[in-house]
Amino acid sequence: MIWKRYIPIAIVGFFGSLTLFGWFIENEGIKSFIDDDATQWYDIIASFAIFLGALNLLKLQFLKVLKRKAGWEYSVVAILSFLIVFVIGFFMRGAFVVDIPNTDIQSTYFTQGAAEEAVNHLKDSGIIASITPAQWGAHIQTEGGLFKWMFDNIFTPLSATMFALLAFYVASASYRAFRARNFEATLLLLAGIIIMIGRVPIGSLISSWMIMYLLVLVIGILINTYFRSRQLVFGWVALGLIGVTVLGSSMGWPIDQPAVFYLPALQEWIYTVPNLAGARAIMIGIGLGVVVTSLRYIFGLEKSYIGNQ
Amino acid sequence: MPFSTILGAWIAVFLTLGIFSYLYRDNPFYKIAEHIFVGVSAAYWAATFYWTQIYPNLFGRLFAVDSPFASMYVLDKGHEYNGLYFFPLLLGIMMLLSIFKQINWMARWGIAYTVGIAAGLKTFGYLSSNVISQIKSTAVDLFSGSLPFFAMPGDSIFNNIVIFIGTISALMYFYFSREQSGLYGRFTRLGIYFLMISFGASFGFAVMGRISLLIGRFNDLILFSNPSYNYGTFWMLGLIIVVLGYWSFQNPEIKEG
Amino acid sequence: MRFLEDIIVKFGSVDRRVIFVLIGLAVLVPLLNPIDLAIRPTPSSQRVYDAVDSIPDNSKVLISFDYGPSTKPEIHPMTLGVMRHILSQDRGHKIYITCLWPDGLYMAKDALKIINEEYDLVEYEDYVLLGFRPGNEAVVKGLASDLRKVFTVDAAQKSINEIPMMEGVNNLNDFQFIFTGSAGYPGTFEWVQYGADPTGVPLSSGTTSIQVNEVMPYVQSGQLQGILAGMPGAAEYEKLIDTPGIAIQGMAAQSYGHVVIVLFIILGNLAYFITERRERKY
Repeated sequence: MIWKRYIPIAIVGFFGSLTLFGWFIENEGIKSFIDDDATQWYDIIASFAIFLGALNLLKLQFLKVLKRKAGWEYSVVAILSFLIVFVIGFFMRGAFVVDIPNTDIQSTYFTQGAAEEAVNHLKDSGIIASITPAQWGAHIQTEGGLFKWMFDNIFTPLSATMFALLAFYVASASYRAFRARNFEATLLLLAGIIIMIGRVPIGSLISSWMIMYLLVLVIGILINTYFRSRQLVFGWVALGLIGVTVLGSSMGWPIDQPAVFYLPALQEWIYTVPNLAGARAIMIGIGLGVVVTSLRYIFGLEKSYIGNQ
Repeated sequence: MPFSTILGAWIAVFLTLGIFSYLYRDNPFYKIAEHIFVGVSAAYWAATFYWTQIYPNLFGRLFAVDSPFASMYVLDKGHEYNGLYFFPLLLGIMMLLSIFKQINWMARWGIAYTVGIAAGLKTFGYLSSNVISQIKSTAVDLFSGSLPFFAMPGDSIFNNIVIFIGTISALMYFYFSREQSGLYGRFTRLGIYFLMISFGASFGFAVMGRISLLIGRFNDLILFSNPSYNYGTFWMLGLIIVVLGYWSFQNPEIKEG
Repeated sequence: MRFLEDIIVKFGSVDRRVIFVLIGLAVLVPLLNPIDLAIRPTPSSQRVYDAVDSIPDNSKVLISFDYGPSTKPEIHPMTLGVMRHILSQDRGHKIYITCLWPDGLYMAKDALKIINEEYDLVEYEDYVLLGFRPGNEAVVKGLASDLRKVFTVDAAQKSINEIPMMEGVNNLNDFQFIFTGSAGYPGTFEWVQYGADPTGVPLSSGTTSIQVNEVMPYVQSGQLQGILAGMPGAAEYEKLIDTPGIAIQGMAAQSYGHVVIVLFIILGNLAYFITERRERKY
């Protein structure tokens, strides 16, 4: 019980208090520990957690292969991919820089053999070149190296495409699921539509007068829905259209006036006024929540990180 | 162009189109690309964190030039020996050992440390920047007369009143300890409207972000369709369409209902 | 009228793959056939531009690359735009580059490669690439108190004590402006909370569109000097510095993509209302 429960709680309390009060304590030793070592330890332990995640992943995939569960063939692909990149990252430098002294000319090769072949080739042409293997640690960041090649051609396309795929699902969801079922949903959709159109160049091509005409027609539809009076609808639509036309003619049809109907200006107002109010309330709410939850963890009132007791 | 560059481009195109093939339906190309992503990501992050964190900052201190273990191994990363770093090493090893079910409680020590440090760091930062500064900014000048009553872009009294009322009403909505009825209920209802506008704006921006990322992918596919990349996009697209078409014919889709 | 309603309702139950094809075409076609659309900078982008413009002569500017390749289409044009703006002013500014993301180092190197072709910069005289340090907000906190403890060497492993540009640079207070291109955590929030707020150094940011709304309150409160919001924000900045780039090129595709999605929302809701009304009737 002590090892599994009380020591973790004590660790949270001790280091949490130290980090929190470290903002206010002027002791050089404590400040140095908090600014340097405490956060370094945090990152080191987080790095080990990444390893744990990778090990768990391998364990699950291996079990799937061993038990021949559905889709086990793909687990073989996952395991092989992991092992290949693991070997490249940990056991192969993959970056041998061939560089001609006193010039800016250099080239990076994946293997020592390829680098030596290049050097011999240059030697035959009378040019002396040297090979510098990338340092361990720097080899994963060396431009032209094998790990960087893997990053550019395998990891990057995959991660970027996973994100980009969502564009299609956002479109599909917009079409099939976003319904103006009530006033709040209508507000949400209207704000979203105005932001989407107003923020891009095409929004500035839409004249405010077109929006006004559209509004006249939409209000006419609403009047028809709620009052069911043909005279009222006809009167509103006729007056509205005539009124907008007269106003527009008198003003010379400027594309961005009245500003309240010009989508970029309307979008900017929505973004910087009502949207800001909501976003600020959320930010303050989250901030208070983080402060309270952090204090609960530090004082040992919250123990969810312990997991099953 | 070097062979490795062209090969890399073809692999990138294959993987990109493999992921996009999910739009048609779940298929082997997508599954292969997905599982490659899973394996590669895990190894990539493990390698990156090891070489940028554990190797220089942990081993760089435990096996520093002035370390008592220098006779065994020396790693000069500009640090001095610090024996206290055995503590994170111990917690890290305990974390790895937790993969065994019988001793999985060992991870709790490492998790407890990270929770404690994060709690201590975040408290002050969030309180200062997210709470106090934001409350200060909400308390705006309404009556000095230096601002116009209404301005579409820019500061105005009307805009500041709307921000003030909106922030207060939305914050009051989050107070669930009191029943939201009567006048209080109507005020919090107003708060909900401001929150809905905010969520709508977030939705608009989310759409914008996703479309931007899609543009990025399409730009790469267009680039790799050039002759300098041996028309990689076209070849891969053709291959996937042909194989997927044959596979779909062999495995017709079962429609629900 | 009934015929039109029937078409709308039928369209409401179309296979989602048709929607995927339409959105794909809406984005792809303008990329293959570029169309010029007028870009109007928004006040928040203008504020970033004005903040960079008003940096005093011979300033030290810190640029942080806090994003990876998956968000490169949105943020890379912003960091390039800001760097071009700083260098084109020719007012003796020096650029210091850090990265809170490991991938950020690749982005920084890529950006420097592009900028070097345009401005012929000299490393350690015009810019220094300090590199990536793990630690998230702890790095920012460390920079605010003692930069030389966080960075003992730069990205090329050269001791910073040997770099002339690093003379007199001990913490964030020695910089006159900070810009962060941020895709999430760590990024803008951490720079505001642990960098700009404690030191008072002016900070601007470019973020992904998804993050913009979360960060917006900092702009209004003055904790951030403006914000570049996603690819449209990057395009606006390119317009302001009069250097068209990939962001402006993508704006037509962005615009048509948005129009198609808005049309989907409207059509979907129309189908919904018509179906609802018919169900109520019967």
